[in-house]
Amino acid sequence: MDRLNNILLWAGLGCFALSFLLSGLYPYLITDGKTPEASIRELAEDVSSDFRLLKEAYPIDFARAFPEGVNALTDPELATIAADDPRRGQSEDAWKNAYARALRDGRDLYIAEACWHCHSQYVRPVGNEVERFGPVRTTAEDNNALQRPVLWGTRRVGPDLTHEGGKRSNDWHIAHLRNPRSTSPDSVMPAYTWYFRRGFQIRRGVSSETAEREGIPADQSYPYPGLYDTKAEAEVALEKLKSSLSSNLEEEAERMFVAEGSGPDGDALALVAYLQWLGTWSPKTAEASK
Amino acid sequence: MNSIPLESPEGTSNLVSKRLVLWHFVAAMFFLLTAMGWGFLISLQFFNLYPFDDISWLSYGRVRLLHTNEIAYGFLVNGFLGCLYYAIPRLTGRTVLNEKLGYLIFLVWQVTMVLTSIGQLLGKGQAVEWGETPTGFRPGSFDLNFVPVDALIAVGALLVAFQFLTPIAKSLHKRMYVSLWYMSAGFVWLILTYLMGNILAEWTLPGSSGAATVGLFIHDLVGLFVTPMGWGLMYFFVPTILRRPIWSHALSVIGFWALAFFYPLNGVHHFLLSSIPMSVQYGAVISTIAVEIVVTTVVVNFFGTMWGHGYALRKSLPIRWFYTGMILYFVTCLQCAFQTTLTVQEIIHFTDWVPGHAHLVMLGVFSFWILGIMTWLWPRLTGREWYSRRLLGWHYWLSAIGVVIMFLDLLSAGLVHGFMAKALVPWRDIIMALKPFWGIRIFAGGMIITGQALFAWNLLQTARGSRAYDYRMDLLTPEAA
Repeated sequence: MDRLNNILLWAGLGCFALSFLLSGLYPYLITDGKTPEASIRELAEDVSSDFRLLKEAYPIDFARAFPEGVNALTDPELATIAADDPRRGQSEDAWKNAYARALRDGRDLYIAEACWHCHSQYVRPVGNEVERFGPVRTTAEDNNALQRPVLWGTRRVGPDLTHEGGKRSNDWHIAHLRNPRSTSPDSVMPAYTWYFRRGFQIRRGVSSETAEREGIPADQSYPYPGLYDTKAEAEVALEKLKSSLSSNLEEEAERMFVAEGSGPDGDALALVAYLQWLGTWSPKTAEASK
Repeated sequence: MNSIPLESPEGTSNLVSKRLVLWHFVAAMFFLLTAMGWGFLISLQFFNLYPFDDISWLSYGRVRLLHTNEIAYGFLVNGFLGCLYYAIPRLTGRTVLNEKLGYLIFLVWQVTMVLTSIGQLLGKGQAVEWGETPTGFRPGSFDLNFVPVDALIAVGALLVAFQFLTPIAKSLHKRMYVSLWYMSAGFVWLILTYLMGNILAEWTLPGSSGAATVGLFIHDLVGLFVTPMGWGLMYFFVPTILRRPIWSHALSVIGFWALAFFYPLNGVHHFLLSSIPMSVQYGAVISTIAVEIVVTTVVVNFFGTMWGHGYALRKSLPIRWFYTGMILYFVTCLQCAFQTTLTVQEIIHFTDWVPGHAHLVMLGVFSFWILGIMTWLWPRLTGREWYSRRLLGWHYWLSAIGVVIMFLDLLSAGLVHGFMAKALVPWRDIIMALKPFWGIRIFAGGMIITGQALFAWNLLQTARGSRAYDYRMDLLTPEAA
């Protein structure tokens, strides 16, 4: 190899190195390189009320998916214990650990289903995007472990999700995952039916007076939280629930029964927790809440 | 001139391993058909007609990854390898490093592709655009959850580099022909690009600096691997088939070095108007516009070569594939220069405009070149006359018209989407407005797939046929397909 070729070989490598220096390393050094990346546990410091509600509504699948949250107490549970009960102290830590796990699992599912190919997580300061989707995110706000690998996306078949967290209820998200057309008519999003499982629920029928007053079918019934694997488990739970009811609710207890049903599994809960988190964290609010 | 046709059994020294070329072409055709089949399937989702709605591993999102990855790594890479196994020994006068290594690379690559497809269907795809091949780990961590396909690809790319750089290094003259510049640079850049994109964005750089690196990866994969391989092959096959030297060697070298300098600087233009520092974004915009100059020199050079021999476009199907690709290349790069400006970005980013652009580049340019080379080589590899030259014509016209329809259709859809979004039209109404365009896309896709299916059938019937290819044709009519 003569000298010219040698020089040119290095020139070829140099071109590559230069591009990495200018458009990879340089932006890193002047932005993200200046502060450490926020870990997932740090992102989970501020547990959202939506996440707490997930445990209330889906206790069984929540406990299975996020065992860290076994000591996390929901608001109704907190209302029943004393103000100086030591369980209160453990509860908050349990919530944060469960939340961290849910965010990570949810983000992984968001990647696994390639959600990021049809939904962006980056609002631009042009094209009225701020009006439609909310404020532009800063480099510091994206300098976190849930944005590595980055999930900005390059295509919007569906809307931007930068500020999705807290915009809608958990129920909306769950119904939407199961059948997007049920909440967003004309949506072309696929249904994610495999995040739902069958099981047994406790349901309570409406009274005939209510049915008449509200104009709903007389056999209409509503589920209680919890989706049990077997009928026997559900029946045991039903008996327990009935015995815990005060005597003036006897009439209601008579309308309770066990029936087959279906509901979101732990994966769906993780995905919803992640979606409800999007846009809720920033280094500033994290600093303030400390 | 040598009176023995180069390609005939008597004319072939043992330079080229025709079987390796053939095997890679067969694999390429397999992935071309499957990838396009996936593409057609997912286009049905836009009318909620997707047939596998309830099957998690065949769901829209996962299959969408297969469509792009099987095209990039299954079709283009196999196609390029096949062409290189032919071109590099011819260019250097030396065999590749080792024929057995060739079969090993073939095996590694197909295993990689099968594992990639399985991994993505199981939801193990990586969140790096055009690099969704599974890392084998949970996102951003080191918890193993699948086969580390990325590592396997890196090994494969390294073996490929050894395989082909050896004959190039052995044959080095004072001045290297431009094809070898492109190819040898492409081998080295591929390894660097692949490692950079798949490692840094996954394990080191978050958020905006991660996006900058991902942009660099997306762009380098096309600009520093696919483009150099494509042009390297054009600089070899066009003069070979036309039997004319390239118009200007000086211009060809300028084209190469300008590509090497400007192309990689474009990366960040995939995330414009973002929180990446504006100085970096402006730099990317300017160098993207500069690439247009590079492109012009190369395209001018090829049209200079063709000057006065335009009849070859009519008589030789491979030449027609090549020059159609070059015209579309010029269109696509001109489009780049405009769409990278922030004014146009505002409207077209996030819309169907971008897939329209990508289809033109990946299908209309580089796939067309590979298909053209296959068309030229197939009878010479198998020693069989074409089963049907008429079908070859159908293949060309269905593909060319199909891709142009798809391009114009998605371009229009992008503009409609962009302006409606800016006007704050409700999302639901935007979707309804895009449906007619998505319908046309299904039609265009159908045309393209039909073309490829006819070609595959033609290849198969040719290989099984009994009519021998008359190598003397090569001496009489250089433009014969």
